[in-house]
Amino acid sequence: MGVKDVTPTRSELIELKKKIKLSQGGHKLLKMKRDGLILEFFEILSKARDVRSELDVAYEEASKKIGIANAVDGVISVKSTAFSLKGTPEVELESRNIMGVVVPKIESSSVKKSIDERGYGVLGTSSYIDESADAYEILVENIILAAEIETTMKKLLDDIEKTKRRVNALEFKVIPELEEAMAFIRLRLEEMERENTFRLKRIKG
Amino acid sequence: MELLQKLRRYYPGSRKKGGSRKKGSSNYAYTTTRVRAMKVHLFPKETYPRLMNMDLNEMTRFIQESKYKDAIDEMARNYKGVDLIENALNRNLAVTFTKLIDISEGELNLLISEQLKEYDIWNIKTILRGKYCNASTEEIMEAIVAAGSMHYTEFAELASKDTYQEVISELVESEYYPILEQYTGDNLDDIENQLDKKYYADLFDVIGLAKSKDRKLFANFTRTGIDVKNLMTLFRLKKSGMTDPEYMDLMIDGGSQMTLVDIERMLDLPFEEFIAELENYPCWDEISDVVSSDMESLSIVESRLKKYRLKSAISSSRFYPLSIVPIMDYMLSKKNEVNNLRIIIRGKAANLGDDFIREQLVI
Repeated sequence: MGVKDVTPTRSELIELKKKIKLSQGGHKLLKMKRDGLILEFFEILSKARDVRSELDVAYEEASKKIGIANAVDGVISVKSTAFSLKGTPEVELESRNIMGVVVPKIESSSVKKSIDERGYGVLGTSSYIDESADAYEILVENIILAAEIETTMKKLLDDIEKTKRRVNALEFKVIPELEEAMAFIRLRLEEMERENTFRLKRIKG
Repeated sequence: MELLQKLRRYYPGSRKKGGSRKKGSSNYAYTTTRVRAMKVHLFPKETYPRLMNMDLNEMTRFIQESKYKDAIDEMARNYKGVDLIENALNRNLAVTFTKLIDISEGELNLLISEQLKEYDIWNIKTILRGKYCNASTEEIMEAIVAAGSMHYTEFAELASKDTYQEVISELVESEYYPILEQYTGDNLDDIENQLDKKYYADLFDVIGLAKSKDRKLFANFTRTGIDVKNLMTLFRLKKSGMTDPEYMDLMIDGGSQMTLVDIERMLDLPFEEFIAELENYPCWDEISDVVSSDMESLSIVESRLKKYRLKSAISSSRFYPLSIVPIMDYMLSKKNEVNNLRIIIRGKAANLGDDFIREQLVI
């Protein structure tokens, strides 16, 4: 809102005062939301760091175990055994609310299985295959957890960014412009009053 | 010798589709002589430490310049790198083992064929698994090693079927049909276990009541194999916390050291007591330093038990030169060579530590 577009009237001044009050209230609330989201973000960030490092460890372990199984039992053996697995882990997607930000909550089931539930015969396979399957089940569980936490983090970051932009817009653009307009109206009203007084004095004289 | 082998291969009664066997008297003298000649071509044990010091390219070149050259040339159209080496090793193993079936006759042929049926069973399982997860024929055929009585073409024919029902109906004449017909589409693990148990049961049928010393050795080797298999199954079950008596179905009867009663008792024991119980068995010396109640991985135990089984088999082959024993010794040594080469190459490619690779090798 440019100063030139403002009509210097008392009603406009009252309107502007209301707007400034509302903007300041909104600014305060958004600042609190931003700070709250940042606090929440840092809490999740430390969790995400742990989950990411666990994921890295799980990936390393799974790669090592599959490397061992490929070396000792042979890729052919591993490939053939992998054919016997058909089911994929089921993932249930829910959502929860953190200060107005909707974040996912992922519940997984049927990832971890015992050796008699994996679909391959125990007698024709080896402990190398079991350990690879174990390691990959742990990896999948970690991936699901990391997906939940990292998506939450991404959504929080997006929202923090959005809130920050709003706070800055209110703090450095909207409120100063409104205050400037208010100052202009005040100045103009005072000027008009002085002109009126002067005019009245001239008429009297 | 090559000509003689070709003549024998095409002689009526040789290995036919479906794995029919040659009748007549055994040709121990001929087969063991051929096997002795074949054994000369096995890599000496000094090869493995040398290979361990080579990088991947040097190892590939070393294997390409060895007896595996033909197999590598043959597989080079479809594979490259480490996959090429592994497939070539398997191809060479299949050719070698089927050659043994081709050159042997009578009872000897029966014994060798029965021993190698584990490959037929493995391939049938692979095809059923492939059909279970809708794998393509090409994917299934990549996992086939036709080193048993059945031909590669037979497996290709089976793999090309659209459904598992068609695969099973194609095997209606085979000895595996009574088990396969119980397959309902969701009990593959049970069918696989039954097929594996059938393998050992049939092997015992063929060995029969061993009277001669060489046959006793063969029987003992099979029994030791069952002991090792049962022991590993026990370890795997215990590690997964599965101690229910119903898992006794996974145990194979006929072990030399552990009876089913012993196993049932051990299945119920807590892990610490189970380990203490193992101290009474001959395999304990081999695994005592790697077994503990808090061990995380069974891979070292499994490799030590494999070594224990091979040690017990290979030592006495020279005492019975005209028997199944030197042939079995060769089969084991050949399989072991292929396994060792694969472990070194795949292990290096996967950046597994040299110490771990050495631990897995059976030299």
